[in-house]
Amino acid sequence: MTVDMLMDWFAAIGDFPVLAFILAVTISGIPLFLVMALNAMVAVYVERKVSAFMMDRIGPMGQGPGLHAGKWGLLQTAADAVKLLVKEDTVPESSDKILFKMAPFIIFIGAFIGLAAVPFSQTLQVVDFNVGVFYIIAVGSIGVIGIVMAGWASNNKWSLYGAMRSAAQIISYEIPAGLSIIVPIMMAGTMNLQELIHYQSGSVWGILPNWIIFNNPFSFLAFFIFFISAIAETNRTPFDIPEAESELVAGWMTEYSGFRWAIFFLSEYANMLIVSGLAVAGFLGGWRSPIPGLFDSGAWGLFWFMGKVASLIFIMMWFRWTFPRLRVDQLMHVCWKVFIPIAMLNIFGVGIWKLIFG
Amino acid sequence: MSKYFTNIYDTVSTLWTGMRITWRHMMNIKRDNVTLQYPEERWPRPERNIGFEHADYNVIRSRLHVDIDDCIGCLKCERACPVDCIKINTIKAPNRGEDIPEIKHTGVTSNDTRKAMVVSRFTIDMSECCYCNLCTYPCPEECIFMVGGPNNEKHNIDYEFSEFDRNDLIYQFAKSITSEQKDTLKNPIPEVEA
Repeated sequence: MTVDMLMDWFAAIGDFPVLAFILAVTISGIPLFLVMALNAMVAVYVERKVSAFMMDRIGPMGQGPGLHAGKWGLLQTAADAVKLLVKEDTVPESSDKILFKMAPFIIFIGAFIGLAAVPFSQTLQVVDFNVGVFYIIAVGSIGVIGIVMAGWASNNKWSLYGAMRSAAQIISYEIPAGLSIIVPIMMAGTMNLQELIHYQSGSVWGILPNWIIFNNPFSFLAFFIFFISAIAETNRTPFDIPEAESELVAGWMTEYSGFRWAIFFLSEYANMLIVSGLAVAGFLGGWRSPIPGLFDSGAWGLFWFMGKVASLIFIMMWFRWTFPRLRVDQLMHVCWKVFIPIAMLNIFGVGIWKLIFG
Repeated sequence: MSKYFTNIYDTVSTLWTGMRITWRHMMNIKRDNVTLQYPEERWPRPERNIGFEHADYNVIRSRLHVDIDDCIGCLKCERACPVDCIKINTIKAPNRGEDIPEIKHTGVTSNDTRKAMVVSRFTIDMSECCYCNLCTYPCPEECIFMVGGPNNEKHNIDYEFSEFDRNDLIYQFAKSITSEQKDTLKNPIPEVEA
Protein backbone atom coordinates (compact mmCIF):
# COMPACT_ATOMS: atom_id res chain seq x y z
CA MET A 1 0.00 0.00 0.00
CA THR A 2 2.48 2.57 -1.11
CA VAL A 3 1.92 6.10 -2.33
CA ASP A 4 3.28 5.07 -5.73
CA MET A 5 0.73 2.26 -5.95
CA LEU A 6 -2.14 4.60 -5.14
CA MET A 7 -0.91 7.12 -7.69
CA ASP A 8 -0.76 4.42 -10.34
CA TRP A 9 -4.37 3.53 -9.55
CA PHE A 10 -5.45 7.14 -9.83
CA ALA A 11 -3.50 7.52 -13.06
CA ALA A 12 -5.42 4.55 -14.46
CA ILE A 13 -8.72 6.25 -13.58
CA GLY A 14 -8.00 9.59 -15.14
CA ASP A 15 -5.51 12.37 -15.77
CA PHE A 16 -5.42 14.59 -12.65
CA PRO A 17 -1.83 14.38 -11.39
CA VAL A 18 -1.89 17.09 -8.70
CA LEU A 19 -5.14 15.92 -7.15
CA ALA A 20 -4.00 12.32 -7.40
CA PHE A 21 -0.82 13.13 -5.51
CA ILE A 22 -2.68 14.98 -2.75
CA LEU A 23 -5.24 12.17 -2.47
CA ALA A 24 -2.58 9.47 -2.36
CA VAL A 25 -0.60 11.27 0.32
CA THR A 26 -3.72 11.90 2.41
CA ILE A 27 -4.98 8.34 2.11
CA SER A 28 -1.68 6.93 3.30
CA GLY A 29 -0.96 9.73 5.76
CA ILE A 30 -4.09 9.39 7.88
CA PRO A 31 -3.50 5.71 8.81
CA LEU A 32 0.09 6.63 9.53
CA PHE A 33 -1.03 9.26 12.00
CA LEU A 34 -3.44 6.77 13.54
CA VAL A 35 -0.60 4.28 13.91
CA MET A 36 1.43 6.98 15.61
CA ALA A 37 -1.36 7.89 18.04
CA LEU A 38 -2.25 4.28 18.76
CA ASN A 39 1.40 3.41 19.29
CA ALA A 40 1.79 6.25 21.78
CA MET A 41 -1.36 5.24 23.67
CA VAL A 42 -0.46 1.58 23.90
CA ALA A 43 3.19 2.26 24.65
CA VAL A 44 2.38 4.73 27.42
CA TYR A 45 0.04 2.22 29.05
CA VAL A 46 2.57 -0.60 28.75
CA GLU A 47 5.35 1.66 29.97
CA ARG A 48 3.38 2.57 33.08
CA LYS A 49 2.57 -1.05 33.76
CA VAL A 50 6.12 -2.27 33.12
CA SER A 51 7.61 0.44 35.30
CA ALA A 52 5.11 -0.36 38.03
CA PHE A 53 5.78 -4.09 37.93
CA MET A 54 9.53 -3.56 38.04
CA MET A 55 9.10 -1.39 41.12
CA ASP A 56 6.71 -3.85 42.82
CA ARG A 57 3.77 -1.54 42.25
CA ILE A 58 0.73 -2.30 40.14
CA GLY A 59 0.32 0.89 38.12
CA PRO A 60 -2.97 2.33 36.96
CA MET A 61 -5.86 0.22 38.19
CA GLY A 62 -9.63 0.45 38.39
CA GLN A 63 -12.73 -1.62 38.86
CA GLY A 64 -14.60 -0.74 35.68
CA PRO A 65 -15.38 2.15 33.35
CA GLY A 66 -16.24 5.24 35.34
CA LEU A 67 -14.41 4.03 38.41
CA HIS A 68 -10.81 5.20 38.42
CA ALA A 69 -9.47 4.18 35.02
CA GLY A 70 -11.36 1.14 33.86
CA LYS A 71 -10.44 -2.49 34.36
CA TRP A 72 -6.69 -2.82 34.96
CA GLY A 73 -6.49 0.90 34.24
CA LEU A 74 -7.01 0.31 30.54
CA LEU A 75 -8.67 3.69 30.08
CA GLN A 76 -5.81 5.54 31.75
CA THR A 77 -4.14 6.70 28.54
CA ALA A 78 -7.46 7.70 27.01
CA ALA A 79 -8.14 9.83 30.08
CA ASP A 80 -4.63 11.28 29.86
CA ALA A 81 -5.12 12.13 26.20
CA VAL A 82 -8.40 13.90 26.93
CA LYS A 83 -6.74 15.75 29.79
CA LEU A 84 -3.89 16.92 27.56
CA LEU A 85 -6.32 18.12 24.91
CA VAL A 86 -8.41 20.22 27.29
CA LYS A 87 -5.45 21.67 29.17
CA GLU A 88 -4.64 25.35 28.91
CA ASP A 89 -2.19 26.08 26.14
CA THR A 90 0.31 28.41 27.73
CA VAL A 91 2.91 30.44 25.88
CA PRO A 92 5.47 32.22 28.08
CA GLU A 93 5.37 36.01 27.94
CA SER A 94 9.08 36.42 27.22
CA SER A 95 9.40 33.57 24.74
CA ASP A 96 10.08 33.84 21.03
CA LYS A 97 6.48 33.11 20.15
CA ILE A 98 6.88 32.13 16.51
CA LEU A 99 9.69 29.64 17.19
CA PHE A 100 7.93 28.42 20.32
CA LYS A 101 4.83 27.52 18.33
CA MET A 102 6.77 26.14 15.38
CA ALA A 103 9.00 23.74 17.34
CA PRO A 104 6.36 21.03 17.99
CA PHE A 105 5.51 20.97 14.29
CA ILE A 106 9.15 20.46 13.29
CA ILE A 107 9.61 17.64 15.79
CA PHE A 108 6.34 16.06 14.75
CA ILE A 109 7.23 16.26 11.06
CA GLY A 110 10.60 14.64 11.76
CA ALA A 111 8.91 11.68 13.40
CA PHE A 112 6.02 11.49 10.94
CA ILE A 113 8.00 11.41 7.72
CA GLY A 114 10.42 8.96 9.30
CA LEU A 115 7.52 6.60 9.92
CA ALA A 116 6.60 6.80 6.23
CA ALA A 117 9.53 4.60 5.23
CA VAL A 118 9.08 1.92 7.89
CA PRO A 119 8.24 -1.44 6.21
CA PHE A 120 5.32 -2.75 8.25
CA SER A 121 4.92 -5.74 5.94
CA GLN A 122 5.59 -6.82 2.36
CA THR A 123 2.99 -4.38 1.07
CA LEU A 124 2.29 -2.05 3.98
CA GLN A 125 4.83 0.70 3.53
CA VAL A 126 3.89 4.23 2.67
CA VAL A 127 6.96 5.01 0.56
CA ASP A 128 9.33 2.32 -0.69
CA PHE A 129 12.56 4.27 -1.15
CA ASN A 130 15.62 2.85 -2.77
CA VAL A 131 17.58 4.68 -0.04
CA GLY A 132 15.21 3.81 2.81
CA VAL A 133 17.87 3.29 5.50
CA PHE A 134 19.63 6.52 4.61
CA TYR A 135 16.31 8.36 4.52
CA ILE A 136 15.26 7.25 8.01
CA ILE A 137 18.67 8.15 9.46
CA ALA A 138 18.52 11.52 7.70
CA VAL A 139 15.02 12.62 8.68
CA GLY A 140 15.66 11.37 12.21
CA SER A 141 17.94 14.37 12.58
CA ILE A 142 15.20 16.88 11.73
CA GLY A 143 13.90 16.50 15.26
CA VAL A 144 17.10 18.09 16.62
CA ILE A 145 16.22 21.37 14.91
CA GLY A 146 12.85 21.35 16.63
CA ILE A 147 14.42 20.50 19.98
CA VAL A 148 16.97 23.32 19.76
CA MET A 149 14.18 25.64 18.57
CA ALA A 150 11.98 24.70 21.53
CA GLY A 151 14.83 25.12 23.98
CA TRP A 152 15.89 28.48 22.60
CA ALA A 153 12.39 29.91 22.15
CA SER A 154 11.31 29.01 25.69
CA ASN A 155 13.75 31.60 27.07
CA ASN A 156 14.40 29.39 30.05
CA LYS A 157 17.67 28.09 31.44
CA TRP A 158 16.42 24.53 31.81
CA SER A 159 15.02 24.43 28.32
CA LEU A 160 18.19 25.81 26.80
CA TYR A 161 20.42 23.40 28.69
CA GLY A 162 18.17 20.51 27.74
CA ALA A 163 18.18 21.50 24.09
CA MET A 164 21.97 21.89 24.04
CA ARG A 165 22.51 18.53 25.66
CA SER A 166 19.99 16.92 23.36
CA ALA A 167 21.63 18.35 20.26
CA ALA A 168 25.08 17.23 21.42
CA GLN A 169 23.81 13.79 22.27
CA ILE A 170 21.79 13.16 19.13
CA ILE A 171 24.53 14.39 16.82
CA SER A 172 27.14 12.28 18.63
CA TYR A 173 25.11 9.11 18.69
CA GLU A 174 24.15 9.37 15.06
CA ILE A 175 27.73 8.44 14.20
CA PRO A 176 27.81 4.99 15.87
CA ALA A 177 24.22 4.36 14.75
CA GLY A 178 25.11 5.23 11.17
CA LEU A 179 28.34 3.22 11.26
CA SER A 180 26.49 0.19 12.62
CA ILE A 181 23.67 0.29 10.11
CA ILE A 182 26.34 0.23 7.40
CA VAL A 183 26.97 -3.42 8.35
CA PRO A 184 23.65 -4.77 7.01
CA ILE A 185 23.91 -2.43 4.04
CA MET A 186 27.33 -3.90 3.23
CA MET A 187 26.05 -7.43 3.55
CA ALA A 188 22.84 -7.00 1.57
CA GLY A 189 24.34 -4.53 -0.86
CA THR A 190 21.26 -2.35 -0.81
CA MET A 191 19.71 0.53 1.13
CA ASN A 192 16.18 -0.44 0.14
CA LEU A 193 14.45 -1.72 3.27
CA GLN A 194 12.32 -4.28 1.41
CA GLU A 195 15.34 -5.71 -0.41
CA LEU A 196 17.24 -5.71 2.88
CA ILE A 197 14.49 -7.86 4.39
CA HIS A 198 14.33 -10.12 1.33
CA TYR A 199 18.07 -10.71 1.74
CA GLN A 200 17.36 -12.13 5.22
CA SER A 201 15.09 -14.97 4.06
CA GLY A 202 16.04 -18.60 4.55
CA SER A 203 18.05 -19.98 7.42
CA VAL A 204 21.63 -20.31 8.63
CA TRP A 205 23.17 -23.34 10.33
CA GLY A 206 19.93 -25.24 9.83
CA ILE A 207 17.94 -23.80 12.75
CA LEU A 208 18.52 -20.07 13.05
CA PRO A 209 16.71 -17.75 10.65
CA ASN A 210 19.05 -16.02 8.24
CA TRP A 211 18.82 -12.69 9.99
CA ILE A 212 21.76 -10.36 9.68
CA ILE A 213 22.26 -10.36 13.47
CA PHE A 214 23.01 -14.12 13.36
CA ASN A 215 25.13 -13.95 10.24
CA ASN A 216 28.51 -13.25 11.81
CA PRO A 217 29.97 -11.97 15.10
CA PHE A 218 30.52 -8.49 13.73
CA SER A 219 26.90 -7.98 12.75
CA PHE A 220 25.87 -9.40 16.12
CA LEU A 221 27.91 -6.69 17.82
CA ALA A 222 26.70 -4.06 15.35
CA PHE A 223 23.08 -4.72 16.31
CA PHE A 224 23.72 -3.90 19.97
CA ILE A 225 25.68 -0.77 19.14
CA PHE A 226 22.93 0.35 16.80
CA PHE A 227 20.19 -0.39 19.30
CA ILE A 228 21.88 1.40 22.20
CA SER A 229 22.73 4.38 19.99
CA ALA A 230 19.11 4.42 18.86
CA ILE A 231 17.97 4.59 22.49
CA ALA A 232 20.33 7.52 22.97
CA GLU A 233 18.89 9.19 19.88
CA THR A 234 15.37 8.92 21.23
CA ASN A 235 16.51 10.60 24.46
CA ARG A 236 15.35 7.78 26.67
CA THR A 237 16.80 6.67 29.98
CA PRO A 238 19.67 5.93 30.61
CA PHE A 239 20.48 8.57 28.00
CA ASP A 240 17.81 11.05 29.08
CA ILE A 241 20.14 13.83 30.18
CA PRO A 242 18.31 16.34 27.91
CA GLU A 243 15.17 16.04 30.03
CA ALA A 244 16.72 14.82 33.28
CA GLU A 245 13.87 15.45 35.70
CA SER A 246 16.06 15.87 38.74
CA GLU A 247 18.30 18.45 37.09
CA LEU A 248 16.36 20.18 34.33
CA VAL A 249 12.68 19.74 35.32
CA ALA A 250 11.67 18.52 31.86
CA GLY A 251 14.52 19.83 29.72
CA TRP A 252 13.45 21.44 26.49
CA MET A 253 9.79 20.57 27.18
CA THR A 254 9.65 22.56 30.43
CA GLU A 255 7.54 25.47 29.14
CA TYR A 256 5.19 23.41 27.01
CA SER A 257 1.75 22.28 28.05
CA GLY A 258 -1.40 20.75 26.68
CA PHE A 259 -1.53 19.78 23.05
CA ARG A 260 1.96 21.01 22.17
CA TRP A 261 3.41 18.83 24.89
CA ALA A 262 1.25 15.94 23.68
CA ILE A 263 2.85 16.37 20.25
CA PHE A 264 6.30 16.02 21.82
CA PHE A 265 5.17 12.91 23.61
CA LEU A 266 3.67 11.44 20.45
CA SER A 267 6.87 12.13 18.57
CA GLU A 268 9.01 10.53 21.27
CA TYR A 269 7.06 7.29 21.08
CA ALA A 270 6.91 7.45 17.28
CA ASN A 271 10.70 7.81 17.27
CA MET A 272 10.93 4.67 19.39
CA LEU A 273 8.81 2.90 16.80
CA ILE A 274 10.98 4.17 13.95
CA VAL A 275 14.33 3.22 15.42
CA SER A 276 12.98 -0.16 16.52
CA GLY A 277 11.55 -0.64 13.04
CA LEU A 278 14.88 0.18 11.47
CA ALA A 279 16.69 -2.19 13.83
CA VAL A 280 14.18 -4.92 13.03
CA ALA A 281 14.41 -4.37 9.30
CA GLY A 282 18.18 -4.09 9.32
CA PHE A 283 19.16 -6.85 11.76
CA LEU A 284 16.17 -8.94 12.82
CA GLY A 285 14.68 -9.98 9.51
CA GLY A 286 11.89 -7.39 9.28
CA TRP A 287 8.55 -9.06 8.64
CA ARG A 288 10.14 -12.51 8.28
CA SER A 289 8.97 -15.23 10.64
CA PRO A 290 11.48 -16.28 13.34
CA ILE A 291 10.97 -19.90 12.24
CA PRO A 292 11.87 -19.95 8.54
CA GLY A 293 8.90 -20.90 6.39
CA LEU A 294 6.33 -20.92 9.22
CA PHE A 295 3.53 -18.33 8.84
CA ASP A 296 5.93 -16.45 6.64
CA SER A 297 3.60 -14.72 4.25
CA GLY A 298 0.84 -12.19 3.76
CA ALA A 299 -0.72 -10.61 6.84
CA TRP A 300 1.60 -12.56 9.14
CA GLY A 301 4.31 -10.14 8.01
CA LEU A 302 2.61 -7.31 9.89
CA PHE A 303 2.26 -9.53 12.95
CA TRP A 304 5.92 -10.55 13.00
CA PHE A 305 7.14 -7.03 12.31
CA MET A 306 5.02 -5.44 15.02
CA GLY A 307 5.88 -8.28 17.38
CA LYS A 308 9.59 -7.71 16.95
CA VAL A 309 9.18 -3.94 17.23
CA ALA A 310 7.12 -4.40 20.38
CA SER A 311 9.80 -6.59 21.96
CA LEU A 312 12.47 -4.03 21.15
CA ILE A 313 10.31 -1.27 22.63
CA PHE A 314 9.82 -3.45 25.69
CA ILE A 315 13.60 -3.81 26.00
CA MET A 316 13.86 -0.01 25.82
CA MET A 317 11.41 0.22 28.71
CA TRP A 318 13.31 -2.47 30.57
CA PHE A 319 16.48 -0.40 30.17
CA ARG A 320 14.68 2.72 31.28
CA TRP A 321 13.46 1.28 34.55
CA THR A 322 16.72 -0.49 35.35
CA PHE A 323 19.62 1.82 34.60
CA PRO A 324 20.56 5.09 36.23
CA ARG A 325 21.15 8.14 34.06
CA LEU A 326 24.62 8.70 32.58
CA ARG A 327 26.62 11.84 33.23
CA VAL A 328 27.39 14.03 30.23
CA ASP A 329 31.06 13.03 30.20
CA GLN A 330 30.19 9.34 30.56
CA LEU A 331 27.76 9.71 27.70
CA MET A 332 30.40 11.18 25.44
CA HIS A 333 32.95 8.62 26.63
CA VAL A 334 30.65 5.73 25.71
CA CYS A 335 29.95 7.22 22.31
CA TRP A 336 33.37 8.36 21.16
CA LYS A 337 35.71 5.98 22.93
CA VAL A 338 33.72 2.75 22.90
CA PHE A 339 31.01 2.68 20.29
CA ILE A 340 32.72 4.41 17.40
CA PRO A 341 35.96 2.34 17.52
CA ILE A 342 34.00 -0.90 17.81
CA ALA A 343 31.60 0.16 15.05
CA MET A 344 34.54 0.90 12.77
CA LEU A 345 36.08 -2.44 13.66
CA ASN A 346 32.76 -4.04 12.76
CA ILE A 347 32.78 -2.49 9.31
CA PHE A 348 36.32 -3.75 8.77
CA GLY A 349 35.47 -7.19 10.10
CA VAL A 350 32.35 -7.55 7.98
CA GLY A 351 34.33 -6.52 4.92
CA ILE A 352 36.87 -9.26 5.61
CA TRP A 353 34.11 -11.77 6.41
CA LYS A 354 32.33 -11.02 3.17
CA LEU A 355 35.62 -11.36 1.30
CA ILE A 356 36.31 -14.80 2.82
CA PHE A 357 32.87 -16.42 3.27
CA GLY A 358 30.50 -14.45 1.07
CA MET B 1 44.42 -1.59 26.73
CA SER B 2 43.32 -4.54 28.83
CA LYS B 3 41.65 -2.08 31.22
CA TYR B 4 39.56 -0.87 28.31
CA PHE B 5 38.18 -4.33 27.69
CA THR B 6 37.74 -5.16 31.38
CA ASN B 7 35.76 -1.93 31.70
CA ILE B 8 33.50 -2.97 28.85
CA TYR B 9 33.10 -6.44 30.33
CA ASP B 10 32.32 -5.01 33.80
CA THR B 11 29.78 -2.62 32.32
CA VAL B 12 27.97 -5.30 30.39
CA SER B 13 27.96 -7.81 33.23
CA THR B 14 26.78 -5.32 35.86
CA LEU B 15 24.08 -3.99 33.57
CA TRP B 16 22.95 -7.55 32.95
CA THR B 17 22.80 -8.15 36.71
CA GLY B 18 20.57 -5.11 37.11
CA MET B 19 18.35 -6.19 34.26
CA ARG B 20 17.97 -9.63 35.79
CA ILE B 21 16.84 -8.06 39.06
CA THR B 22 14.18 -5.88 37.43
CA TRP B 23 13.03 -8.82 35.31
CA ARG B 24 12.64 -10.94 38.42
CA HIS B 25 10.60 -8.23 40.11
CA MET B 26 8.39 -7.88 37.05
CA MET B 27 7.75 -11.60 36.86
CA ASN B 28 7.01 -11.94 40.58
CA ILE B 29 4.69 -8.96 40.72
CA LYS B 30 1.79 -11.06 42.03
CA ARG B 31 3.87 -12.09 45.03
CA ASP B 32 5.90 -8.93 45.64
CA ASN B 33 3.23 -6.32 45.02
CA VAL B 34 3.15 -3.78 47.85
CA THR B 35 0.32 -1.57 46.61
CA LEU B 36 -2.95 -1.81 48.48
CA GLN B 37 -5.87 -0.41 46.49
CA TYR B 38 -7.19 1.52 49.43
CA PRO B 39 -10.94 1.84 49.25
CA GLU B 40 -11.31 -1.75 48.04
CA GLU B 41 -8.57 -3.33 50.14
CA ARG B 42 -7.45 -2.44 53.63
CA TRP B 43 -4.73 -3.46 55.97
CA PRO B 44 -6.04 -5.61 58.80
CA ARG B 45 -6.38 -3.63 62.02
CA PRO B 46 -3.34 -4.41 64.14
CA GLU B 47 -3.90 -6.33 67.33
CA ARG B 48 -3.16 -4.10 70.26
CA ASN B 49 -2.40 -4.63 73.89
CA ILE B 50 -3.35 -1.72 76.12
CA GLY B 51 -2.16 -3.37 79.30
CA PHE B 52 -5.55 -4.42 80.64
CA GLU B 53 -8.74 -6.03 79.50
CA HIS B 54 -10.71 -4.04 76.98
CA ALA B 55 -13.89 -4.77 78.86
CA ASP B 56 -12.53 -3.23 82.06
CA TYR B 57 -11.92 0.24 80.84
CA ASN B 58 -13.09 2.32 77.98
CA VAL B 59 -9.97 4.04 76.72
CA ILE B 60 -10.79 3.97 73.07
CA ARG B 61 -12.33 7.16 71.89
CA SER B 62 -13.30 6.31 68.37
CA ARG B 63 -16.46 8.25 67.78
CA LEU B 64 -19.53 9.42 69.59
CA HIS B 65 -22.70 7.45 69.60
CA VAL B 66 -26.11 8.22 71.01
CA ASP B 67 -28.80 5.73 71.98
CA ILE B 68 -31.60 8.06 70.99
CA ASP B 69 -34.29 5.96 72.68
CA ASP B 70 -32.69 6.79 76.04
CA CYS B 71 -32.18 10.49 75.34
CA ILE B 72 -34.47 12.76 77.32
CA GLY B 73 -33.40 15.95 75.53
CA CYS B 74 -31.86 17.63 78.58
CA LEU B 75 -29.22 19.46 76.45
CA LYS B 76 -26.49 18.85 79.05
CA CYS B 77 -24.15 17.36 76.49
CA GLU B 78 -24.76 20.24 74.09
CA ARG B 79 -23.74 22.71 76.80
CA ALA B 80 -20.72 20.65 77.81
CA CYS B 81 -19.30 20.43 74.33
CA PRO B 82 -16.29 22.79 74.07
CA VAL B 83 -16.47 23.01 70.28
CA ASP B 84 -20.26 23.11 69.97
CA CYS B 85 -20.47 20.22 67.59
CA ILE B 86 -23.61 18.78 69.18
CA LYS B 87 -26.89 20.34 68.09
CA ILE B 88 -30.16 19.31 69.74
CA ASN B 89 -33.71 20.51 69.10
CA THR B 90 -36.56 19.33 71.26
CA ILE B 91 -40.31 19.59 71.24
CA LYS B 92 -42.42 19.21 74.33
CA ALA B 93 -44.13 15.86 74.31
CA PRO B 94 -47.95 15.99 74.44
CA ASN B 95 -48.15 13.46 77.27
CA ARG B 96 -45.16 12.75 79.46
CA GLY B 97 -43.91 9.17 79.36
CA GLU B 98 -46.17 7.99 76.54
CA ASP B 99 -45.05 6.40 73.31
CA ILE B 100 -45.81 8.17 70.04
CA PRO B 101 -45.81 5.36 67.47
CA GLU B 102 -46.11 7.67 64.40
CA ILE B 103 -42.60 9.04 65.02
CA LYS B 104 -41.31 5.93 66.82
CA HIS B 105 -40.87 7.89 70.02
CA THR B 106 -40.51 5.81 73.14
CA GLY B 107 -41.86 7.40 76.28
CA VAL B 108 -39.76 5.66 78.94
CA THR B 109 -35.98 5.24 78.94
CA SER B 110 -34.16 2.11 80.00
CA ASN B 111 -33.58 3.82 83.38
CA ASP B 112 -37.37 4.13 83.79
CA THR B 113 -37.27 7.88 83.32
CA ARG B 114 -40.42 9.25 81.74
CA LYS B 115 -39.47 11.54 78.87
CA ALA B 116 -40.94 15.01 78.75
CA MET B 117 -39.37 15.95 75.43
CA VAL B 118 -39.34 14.62 71.90
CA VAL B 119 -35.89 14.99 70.38
CA SER B 120 -36.52 16.24 66.84
CA ARG B 121 -32.88 16.86 65.99
CA PHE B 122 -29.70 15.38 67.42
CA THR B 123 -26.68 15.95 65.22
CA ILE B 124 -23.00 15.56 66.02
CA ASP B 125 -20.52 17.01 63.55
CA MET B 126 -17.72 14.46 63.84
CA SER B 127 -15.41 16.64 61.74
CA GLU B 128 -15.51 19.18 64.58
CA CYS B 129 -15.45 16.74 67.48
CA CYS B 130 -12.24 16.93 69.50
CA TYR B 131 -12.74 13.58 71.28
CA CYS B 132 -12.52 15.22 74.71
CA ASN B 133 -15.26 12.95 76.05
CA LEU B 134 -16.69 15.84 78.12
CA CYS B 135 -20.23 15.32 76.80
CA THR B 136 -20.48 11.81 78.14
CA TYR B 137 -20.04 12.69 81.86
CA PRO B 138 -23.05 14.95 82.42
CA CYS B 139 -25.50 12.68 80.62
CA PRO B 140 -28.05 11.56 83.25
CA GLU B 141 -29.19 8.60 81.15
CA GLU B 142 -25.70 7.59 79.95
CA CYS B 143 -26.99 7.50 76.42
CA ILE B 144 -24.14 9.43 74.75
CA PHE B 145 -20.84 7.61 74.76
CA MET B 146 -17.70 6.96 72.83
CA VAL B 147 -17.87 3.87 70.68
CA GLY B 148 -15.02 1.47 71.20
CA GLY B 149 -13.63 -0.70 73.95
CA PRO B 150 -16.47 -2.29 75.90
CA ASN B 151 -18.98 -1.39 73.24
CA ASN B 152 -17.02 -3.33 70.68
CA GLU B 153 -19.68 -5.99 70.29
CA LYS B 154 -22.39 -3.44 69.94
CA HIS B 155 -20.75 -1.16 67.40
CA ASN B 156 -17.90 -1.81 65.01
CA ILE B 157 -14.73 0.07 65.73
CA ASP B 158 -14.05 1.85 62.49
CA TYR B 159 -10.88 3.85 62.74
CA GLU B 160 -11.19 5.39 59.29
CA PHE B 161 -14.62 6.93 59.17
CA SER B 162 -13.88 8.89 56.05
CA GLU B 163 -16.69 10.02 53.78
CA PHE B 164 -16.85 11.34 50.25
CA ASP B 165 -18.95 14.32 51.33
CA ARG B 166 -18.11 16.43 54.34
CA ASN B 167 -21.80 16.66 55.19
CA ASP B 168 -21.83 12.91 55.71
CA LEU B 169 -19.63 13.46 58.77
CA ILE B 170 -22.56 15.20 60.51
CA TYR B 171 -24.14 12.24 62.21
CA GLN B 172 -27.92 12.27 62.55
CA PHE B 173 -29.17 10.43 65.62
CA ALA B 174 -32.73 11.74 66.01
CA LYS B 175 -35.51 9.77 64.41
CA SER B 176 -36.79 11.39 61.26
CA ILE B 177 -39.77 13.59 61.88
CA THR B 178 -41.59 15.32 59.05
CA SER B 179 -42.49 18.98 59.41
CA GLU B 180 -46.23 18.14 59.57
CA GLN B 181 -45.58 15.78 62.45
CA LYS B 182 -43.58 18.56 64.12
CA ASP B 183 -46.46 20.94 63.71
CA THR B 184 -48.93 18.50 65.20
CA LEU B 185 -46.57 17.94 68.12
CA LYS B 186 -46.19 21.67 68.73
CA ASN B 187 -49.90 22.50 68.34
CA PRO B 188 -51.76 19.38 69.42
CA ILE B 189 -55.31 19.32 68.19
CA PRO B 190 -57.42 19.61 71.36
CA GLU B 191 -59.70 16.71 71.85
CA VAL B 192 -63.23 17.93 71.60
CA GLU B 193 -65.21 17.08 74.72
CA ALA B 194 -68.54 15.72 73.97
